[in-house]
Amino acid sequence: MTDTAIEAAGLGKRFGRGKWALRGCTFRLPTGRVCAVVGPNGAGKSTALTLAAGLLAPTEGRITVLGTDPASARPRVGHVAQGKPLYPRLTVAETLRVGADLNPGTWDAATAERVVAAGGLDPEARVRSLSGGQRTRVALALALGKRPELLLLDEPMADLDPLARRELMGTLMAQAAQYGTTIVMSSHVVAELEDSCDHLLLVGGGRVRLAGEIDDLLAAHTRVTAPADDADLLSSHTVVDSRATGRQLTALIRPTGPLPDTWRASAPSLEELVLGHLRNPEAPVPTPAAETGKAPA
Amino acid sequence: MTTLTTPSPSATAHRDSGGPRLLSWLLRLHRPALWAWTALVLVLGAGLLWLWGPLTDAAAAAWRQYNACDMRPRCAYDQPAILLYKDVEHYITLAVTAVPFLVAAWAGAALFGRELESGTAQLAWAQSLSPTRWLTAKLAFPAVLVTAGTGLLVCLYHLAWSAGRGRIDTARSWYDSLVLHTNGPTTVAFALTGLAAGALAGVLCRRTFPALALALGLTAVVRAVAHLAMPHLWPSVTHTVDRSEGPVVLGLEADSGLVTSTGAHVPVPRCDAMDPGGCSAAYDRLGAVGYYTEYHPFSHYWPLQLTTTALVLVLAGLFALGAFWVLRRTTGTARAAAKAGAV
Repeated sequence: MTDTAIEAAGLGKRFGRGKWALRGCTFRLPTGRVCAVVGPNGAGKSTALTLAAGLLAPTEGRITVLGTDPASARPRVGHVAQGKPLYPRLTVAETLRVGADLNPGTWDAATAERVVAAGGLDPEARVRSLSGGQRTRVALALALGKRPELLLLDEPMADLDPLARRELMGTLMAQAAQYGTTIVMSSHVVAELEDSCDHLLLVGGGRVRLAGEIDDLLAAHTRVTAPADDADLLSSHTVVDSRATGRQLTALIRPTGPLPDTWRASAPSLEELVLGHLRNPEAPVPTPAAETGKAPA
Repeated sequence: MTTLTTPSPSATAHRDSGGPRLLSWLLRLHRPALWAWTALVLVLGAGLLWLWGPLTDAAAAAWRQYNACDMRPRCAYDQPAILLYKDVEHYITLAVTAVPFLVAAWAGAALFGRELESGTAQLAWAQSLSPTRWLTAKLAFPAVLVTAGTGLLVCLYHLAWSAGRGRIDTARSWYDSLVLHTNGPTTVAFALTGLAAGALAGVLCRRTFPALALALGLTAVVRAVAHLAMPHLWPSVTHTVDRSEGPVVLGLEADSGLVTSTGAHVPVPRCDAMDPGGCSAAYDRLGAVGYYTEYHPFSHYWPLQLTTTALVLVLAGLFALGAFWVLRRTTGTARAAAKAGAV
């Protein structure tokens, strides 16, 4: 048994002869966590999840899923693609029967039916007549009914209203707690993930910008407001992002020592942390050693 | 949490049922296509039965009346029966010829291209069905239905054509470019080629319309190649005639040309057919004394059909292998299989 859900080394994917969707990605996601894959549109989040699901082969590098290659791990992995593809002609009930047909022995019909019923969906409704949010619910029901060890969700909440979002997030968290399912979900809206995720993978421009336990990452960073004259002093710390506002500097830093009393320091929000790193692609990435020291081995 | 170790009743119910229920899954997805195929085979089959029985009898009777007229200027014969036979035979021949292309278009567009474009193929792979198994199922079950349906149509066509042979003066010869195939198993092989071409086109293009076009193109190329190769897949018979008799067509032709005074066979030279003296002079220059034709008599029909069918099936098999190869490469399944084999 392994405590690593996904491990990537120098992972890269290029479509045709075009631009690299993902390149040089090295990261490790532990099992039993709810992990957020965050980044702007086109950052390579979907590509990373598709590679992990074994639906595409990487162009270079290596990816290991649940201790094996993605193709072999496929029966233990659930994947909900961004477009929520479903067979439009089938009814909701028939769609779930597809899940039962393709997963004999492991299909959890009760869970799948419960997820669909919670949305008040008519089992006889055709998938093509459903709204975006309803399709998301059916797609999630299919993925959860498979009872995967690892669930990969690409922008799962994008089409949902706040009420459904809260309810489905609750279902996912219950699943994670009950079966120890590792959940990896991508989003470009950070606020959507802040309450439910405990691990972060920040992707930008096809590369990993930041990775680690959210609590550790937040603890390692500080938002400071300092007089503009203290710019030299500021640079003795690791500066992720800084901007001058009048005679003051506001910066996101990783302190390397005690901060002067004249500076106003506060804990950054996850969103500030993410935006700070995305705005500054050249910002130094925390050394993996510093993170793994805190992560359970 | 007490539910943690207790599997749900439905989960236990399915636990001993073996592998994925592929037939049930495929039927659920492609029921409209199954109905459409059944309807097509039934309609064409009914048309062929009509042609075989009543239409052939009526047209043959009309031809007997016509031939009994013996050039008398006023003579009654059942012309509508002859025309109806000709029309029905014409359209059914075209329809049976088109069946492989219909299969190719459906396979390229609906069976493979659209699923890969919309992501429902990936949905199935994410549901514990490996891409290779997905492709195998999607080729195998339709292949059985395509073989059965096309095979039935070809058998009925052969019966109807044989019933008219020698009784209907305008019936098409066995080596007519369409009848040559609608009459035998090459059409079944073309239909299977359409299916395999659809799979290859689908996994290559991953989009509905490009896959449809590529599948049709591949099938057309295979049909053309088979048609050109067919006369050369079995030893032909050589027949020579005097130059005064003119060239003759005796069956399916493999080659033809002029016989020179030395007995050599040479191709017919290019000459202006509008200028009667021109061709004659060109033939004289070559020392032509007769015409030869290398052809296949009707007795070669089955050897020709079977060798061509084998050739076409090999091409269809190559398309299918190509589809597996492309799919394995794009989904990284090859490496997994190799690793599993190495362990």
